[in-house]
Amino acid sequence: MSRVKLSLSVLVLALVLSLSSAVLAADVHVTVLNSKGEIQAQLEEIAAYYSSITEGVTVEIAAVPVGQSPFERATALYASGNAPTLLMVDAGDVLLFQDRALALNGEKWVADAIENSLGMATADDGRILAFPVTVEGYGFIYNRAVVEKALGRAFDPKTVNSIDALRQLFDDIEASGQASIVIGPEDWSLGAHFFALAYATQSPDFAEIKKFQEGLKKGEIKLADNAQVNGLLDTFDLMKEYNYDKIDPLASTYDRGTELIGTGEVAVWFQGNWTWPQIKDFTDNREFGFLPVPISSNPADYGNTQVPVGVTKYFIMDAEQNSPEQQQAAKDFLNWLGYDPEGQKRMVIDASIIPAFKNITIVPEDPLAASLLEYVREGKTLNFVLNLPPDHWAQVGASMQKYLADFVDRAGLLGEIEAYWLGK
Amino acid sequence: MLASEKRFVDKLKNYLLFAGPTTLVFITVIILPFLFGIYLTFTNWDGISKAYTFVSFSNYKQVIQDPAFWTSFLRTVKYVFYTVLLVNTIGFSLAYALTGGKVLGENLLRTGFFVPNLIGGIILGLVWRFIFSNVLVFLGRTLNIGFLSTSWLANPNKALWTLVIVTVWQYSGYMMIIFIAGLSNIPKELLEAATIDGATGFQRLRTIVLPLMVPAFIVTVFLTIQRGFMVYDVNIALTNGGPFKSTQLISMFVYEKAFLSQQYGVGQSEAFFLFLLVAAISLTQVYFTKKLEVEV
Repeated sequence: MSRVKLSLSVLVLALVLSLSSAVLAADVHVTVLNSKGEIQAQLEEIAAYYSSITEGVTVEIAAVPVGQSPFERATALYASGNAPTLLMVDAGDVLLFQDRALALNGEKWVADAIENSLGMATADDGRILAFPVTVEGYGFIYNRAVVEKALGRAFDPKTVNSIDALRQLFDDIEASGQASIVIGPEDWSLGAHFFALAYATQSPDFAEIKKFQEGLKKGEIKLADNAQVNGLLDTFDLMKEYNYDKIDPLASTYDRGTELIGTGEVAVWFQGNWTWPQIKDFTDNREFGFLPVPISSNPADYGNTQVPVGVTKYFIMDAEQNSPEQQQAAKDFLNWLGYDPEGQKRMVIDASIIPAFKNITIVPEDPLAASLLEYVREGKTLNFVLNLPPDHWAQVGASMQKYLADFVDRAGLLGEIEAYWLGK
Repeated sequence: MLASEKRFVDKLKNYLLFAGPTTLVFITVIILPFLFGIYLTFTNWDGISKAYTFVSFSNYKQVIQDPAFWTSFLRTVKYVFYTVLLVNTIGFSLAYALTGGKVLGENLLRTGFFVPNLIGGIILGLVWRFIFSNVLVFLGRTLNIGFLSTSWLANPNKALWTLVIVTVWQYSGYMMIIFIAGLSNIPKELLEAATIDGATGFQRLRTIVLPLMVPAFIVTVFLTIQRGFMVYDVNIALTNGGPFKSTQLISMFVYEKAFLSQQYGVGQSEAFFLFLLVAAISLTQVYFTKKLEVEV
C-alpha cells in the first residue's frame, strides 16, 4: 500500500516538474523598466503588440513610480533579486551599472547609432553597455497660432536670437492682451535643463564643458564673473517679469503648463519635446516649435541660436538575474524596434520618440520633434549636458526655485550653486 | 540541577514551538538587515556597484559636519513638537467630549474622527495637496481672504504647517480611541465621590482624570513622537520636500542622500544616527512620564 502511494507521489511529482519546465520553456518573460512616464501607455501597447506577434515571448512594461528616479528604482529591484531584463536609465547613470549590465558590442544597431550617442554608454574597457532610446531637446516651446494672432503677422522664429529680441517678442505678445510665458517651477526643469544651459553655452567642445565643471568642483570659477551665466539669468529675470503665474510662481505645475500652452492661454513655455503627448491632448493645432534660450544681446554668440539636443535615456540589459533566453528575447525586441518597419513606426509615431539611429528614416509627426530635427540638420545644437552629479537637478533646482520666488538674489543663488559643486 | 536543566529544555521546546517561526522571521528580516546596514555605514557603497571600500568612520564624520542634515533634523524636531502637542490635546479633548454621553451620536462621531487614520498617507497627501493648492486658494481669491489667496504649499514659511495640519487631522482620531479606552477604565466611584464632595468638572479633570490617564499618555506621546520622526509618506505626497527643500523632513533627507545622491554609506549612517537619536528621545520620554503614574 505504502509503496503504491510512494510511487504514485513520485509520478505526480515528476509530472508536475516536467509540466512546469515545459511551461517555463515555452514562455520567455522580458520585463522592461520604463522611466519615461509620459509614454507608459504607448509602450504598453507596443509590448502587447510585440507579444502577440512573437511565439512564446511576453514583454511586460513596469513603470518607475512618479517622484522616484530610475536609479532608485533600479537599486531596489536589484537588491530584491528582481531585476528587469531591460532598464531604461538616465544617461548619466549608465556607467554605474557596469558590473550588472550585459555588453552589447555585438549587436547590429551599434553600427547604426548616430554620432556621439554611445559615448555615455561605453565603459573604460570598451564594452558598450546600453541601447540609446531617445534623442531629446528643450528650449522655449511656442504655439505658432497664438504668437501670430497676437503679433498680427507671420512669425519667424529665427528672429529671436538675443535677449533683446526675446523681450521685444514678449512685449509685442503682451501688447495684444495675450499672456506671453509661464515658468514651470519643477526642480528638474530648472536644475537639470534651464541651469544646465549655463554649462552648455560655455563651449561647443564637450571637453571644455567638463573643464568648466572641474573648475567648479575645485572652487576656481566665480559664476558671478561668467558672461554666459549672467546672460542666462538675465533671460530668467525676463521670464520672471512676464511669468503668467507671477503671483504664486511655485504653485504652478507641469500639468498646468501643458494645459496653458496647449489651449493657447500662454504663447511660450520653457520645456522639452517630451511634453508633446500631453500638449496634443489640449489642442488640434499642430504648429508648435522651439526657440533657443538667448544668453546675450549679440546674435552671433554661441547659444543664442542653438538648442540643446542629446540622448537622454538608455536601455541597459541585466546580465545577472535574467536567463540567457530572456536576454536573447530582449535583444530581439530591441532589434525589432530598430529595424522592423512596424517597430520603427510604433516607436517614432506612436510614442513620439526621436530615434538615435541613422537607419530609421520615418519622420516623427510630432511638431516639437520636427522642430528639433530642423535644428539638428542646420547644425544649430548645444550639448545636452548629462554628466552632472546625480543630485544636481534636485539641489540646483531648489536654489533656482528660491530665485524664482525671490527668496534669494542673484549673488545668493550663485553662491549656493558654487557651494553645491565644491568638492563634488 | 538536572531538574532545572530539564525545565530549561522544556521551556526552549515550548518557545520554539510557539515563537520559533516568528523569531526566525524577525531575525532574518529585521536583525540581519539592521546589522548589515550598520556594516554598510563603514563603506562607500553607491547602492549598485559590486566593488566598495572600507572607509571606517568618515561617513559618520560627514554626517555630523553636514549642516543640511542638522537643518533637516531641527525642522523635524519642530514638526514633532507641534504635532505631538496638537495631536494629544485634540485627541484627548475629543475623547473627553465623546465619553459619558455628553453629546448625541457619540459612536457616529467617534467613527467619523477615526476614519482619517484609515486612509493611506500617500492618498491623504494628494487629497490635501488638492485642498491646499486649489480649494483654499479658490476660496481665498473669491472671498478676498489674504492669507488664503496664495498656495500655502508654495510658501516656505507655511508649507511646514500644512504637514502639521494634515498629521493632526490624521492621528487625532487614532489617539482619541486610546484615550477613550483609558477614560472608560477610570473607576466611576472616584468621580462620584468627588462630585459629592463638591468638586467642579474642571477640578475632577485636573485632580482625578488626568493623573489616572498617565498610562494612556505614555502610549500616545510615544506613538506620536516615533511616528513624527519617521514620517515619510505624507511628506513626499503633500509637499515633496518643497518649496526648495524647506519642508524636507529627516526621513526624506536620508532617503535622498542614499538613493538620489547615490551615497548609500552616508545615507545609511544618517539613518543609524537617527535611530539612536529617536531611541534616546523616546526612552527618555517613557522613563520620565512613567514617574508621573499614580496608584489608585
